[in-house]
This record gives sequence, structure tokens and C-alpha cells, in this order.
Amino acid sequence: MPFHVLFLVSVLAGFVGAMTGMGGGVILIPVLTFFGMDIKHAIAVSIVSVIATSSGSASAYVRDRITNLKVGMFLEMFTIVGALAGAAITLVSGRRFLFILFGIVLLSSWIALLRQGHEGLHQTTRQDSFSRWLELKGSYYDRSVQQLIVYHGDRAYLGGPLMFGAGLIAGLLGIGAGALKVLIHDLVMRLPPKVSTTTSNLIIGVTALAGTSVYLAAGMIDPGLAAPIILGVLFGATLGTRLLVRLTNQMVRRIFLGVLLILGIEMIIRGVVRS
Amino acid sequence: MARIQASTHPEKAKSDHHLDMEILIGYILLGGVLLSVALIAIGFVWRWVRSGNLQFQYTVAGMNFFEFVLSSLRQMASHELRPRVLVNMGIAVLMLTPFVRVLASVFYFALVEHNWKYTLFTGFVLSVLTYSLFLR
Repeated sequence: MPFHVLFLVSVLAGFVGAMTGMGGGVILIPVLTFFGMDIKHAIAVSIVSVIATSSGSASAYVRDRITNLKVGMFLEMFTIVGALAGAAITLVSGRRFLFILFGIVLLSSWIALLRQGHEGLHQTTRQDSFSRWLELKGSYYDRSVQQLIVYHGDRAYLGGPLMFGAGLIAGLLGIGAGALKVLIHDLVMRLPPKVSTTTSNLIIGVTALAGTSVYLAAGMIDPGLAAPIILGVLFGATLGTRLLVRLTNQMVRRIFLGVLLILGIEMIIRGVVRS
Repeated sequence: MARIQASTHPEKAKSDHHLDMEILIGYILLGGVLLSVALIAIGFVWRWVRSGNLQFQYTVAGMNFFEFVLSSLRQMASHELRPRVLVNMGIAVLMLTPFVRVLASVFYFALVEHNWKYTLFTGFVLSVLTYSLFLR
């Protein structure tokens, strides 16, 4: 693939990924394979770019003191082991399986996103003793409501093992799997939405590194392809974050829901039709 | 100190230690990404100025992180390949960014916060990542 095509595709992926908070991989991989790149190589270069977008945005969120470092560092223990296992599975699995799994993950993200609008805050002051022992609590200043939000993390004994699964998917498919992580933070550990997304962002960086190491060792990362993708995705993500302020949330959601649905169905069809 | 300011500046309602760790991690991540992007971009510009072409066509045989860095540095000897070395270093810096972030967290939890629980947790993450960088 020529440089400018790679770069433009990556800008688009980073842009849409940042606007919707889903990360660039879910767009990047279907498009790269559409242009004829082998799915395993697309997965390998995508996961390198995930380190870049995650670290870039995490740096801002961490300094804003919304990210909960302890929650992140506890859950990382599970995601990195999952990512190593996931990447190892990708190396030996068939391409048809990867296409279909990717499609299923896209469609589940579609369902997760569809549900998202209907949930209110479900904060709790309840905290089990294990989560208390892990010191999973925190507070942040919410500018939109001008209030200090104090919260407690709950059910870490469930959140940890589930995060292994999120890491597995991330390593397998070369994506951040942010939607899955946010879902676990939200529904299982009952963290406030802002803390969920920013903490998931921090975790994604190390998770992607674990996956990248496996793909590098397998000789699947071509720096000549990875480098323009890194630049493009970062550039697109920066643009997307800026524009996010101007577009309404509902509009972004509707656009992205459509894109997810089409890509998900398309990947499954390509997996099934493959000879 | 911070406790007293808390009433007037809710955003700073954290202990001094906590504040430092977030600043430290934030700047490690930012610095790593910026350095990586700069190296890759300079590599491409250099390549373009030299050959009028932005395409890099080379594959890397299966190797671990350290072999990747060493083999790239060895190419420095060749005048022809220097832009490629920069691009490779950019990718290496990017991979080291989360790693250094975890390394700094281990030291911070151990030396500043004396939080042995989290020193152990981040230490585990660090050892798994180190192992993964040595994978072959």
C-alpha cells in the first residue's frame, strides 16, 4: 500500500476512533484488510498504533486527575497476561476465525453503544472488603457540574478476571478493546463514566505493548507500514478530540453506530465467504 | 497544606504525593509519544529529501525488542539506511513509553508512598512486560 493511502486511512481511523472513544483499531483493521492487507499483519500494525493513541490521550487525562491510577494498575495485571495469550492465539489461528471474531466484537460494541445512552449514574457507597483492601476509591472535580465527585470501586474480585478477557480480545484482534473495559468498569466495578473511560485508556497502553512484543517476535511488524499508521492515527485522534467539542454527542453516536454495524456485518460475511 | 486548600480549590483536593505521581506519569507518557513521533517524522522527511520517495520497503525478521534495537543501531554504519534507523528508533521509543511508565510507578509506590501492596502489583506488571520484551 502506498504511503499516502496508508496515512489517510489511519487519519480517518484515528479521527473516528477519538470522536467516539472507541480507539482507532476497530476502523483501521477492516479498512486495511479491505485494501488487501493480510488480517494478521493488519492486527499487528494496528496494535502498535494503539500504544500511541492510548499513551497520548492518557497523558492528558492523568494530569487532569480523572484517571484512577490504582484501579488501572490493579487491572493491568490481568489485561497484560490476557494480551500475551490473545496474541499467541492469533499467530496460530486461521484467518476465517479472526474475520468472524472481529465481526462479532464489532457487533457487540454496537449493542454496547446502543445501550449506553439509556444508563444513568449508578454510583454506590457500598464496597466489598477486597476492593477496600485494594484502596479502590477516589475523587475528581467534574467541571460540567462544578462538583467534587467522590466514588468507590466495587467487586474487584470480579472485575480483575473479566479484565483478563478484555486483554485477550485486545491481543487477539489488535484493538484497544476500550468499549469492553469501560463496560467492566461501569457495570461491574461501578465507577463513574469519566473515570471508566480515562482509566481504561491508561490500561490500554501497557496491554497493547504486551501484544506488540508477541507480534514483533513473530516478525509480523513491518516498521515501514507501522510508522505511517502511527503518525496518521495520532494526527487523526488529535483532530477528532478537537472537533468533539463542536459536534453534538447524539450525532457522533448515530454516525458511529452506522459505521460499526456495516463493518461488523462486512467482516463476518468476509469470514464466512472466504474460501 | 493541600488539605487546607481543598476547600477553595476542589481540583487540588489530593495529597501532595498523589499529585506528584500523576504529573510524573502524565509527562512520561507525553514525552515518550512526542519523542517517538518526532523520530518517525524526521525519518520520513529525511528519506523523502534523499530519495523523493516516502515508501520504506523492508520487513523485520522475527526478533525480540532488544535485538530489534541493536540491529537497527547497527544499520547506522550504512549511510543509505539512516532514515530507517530513525523510524525504527521511533517505534522502539513508543514501545518503551508504557514500560517506563510502569517502571516509574514501581519506584514511586516503593520509595515515595511506601505502599508495598501496589509495589508488588506494579512489580508484577513490570516483570511480565520485561518477559514479553525478551520473547523470541
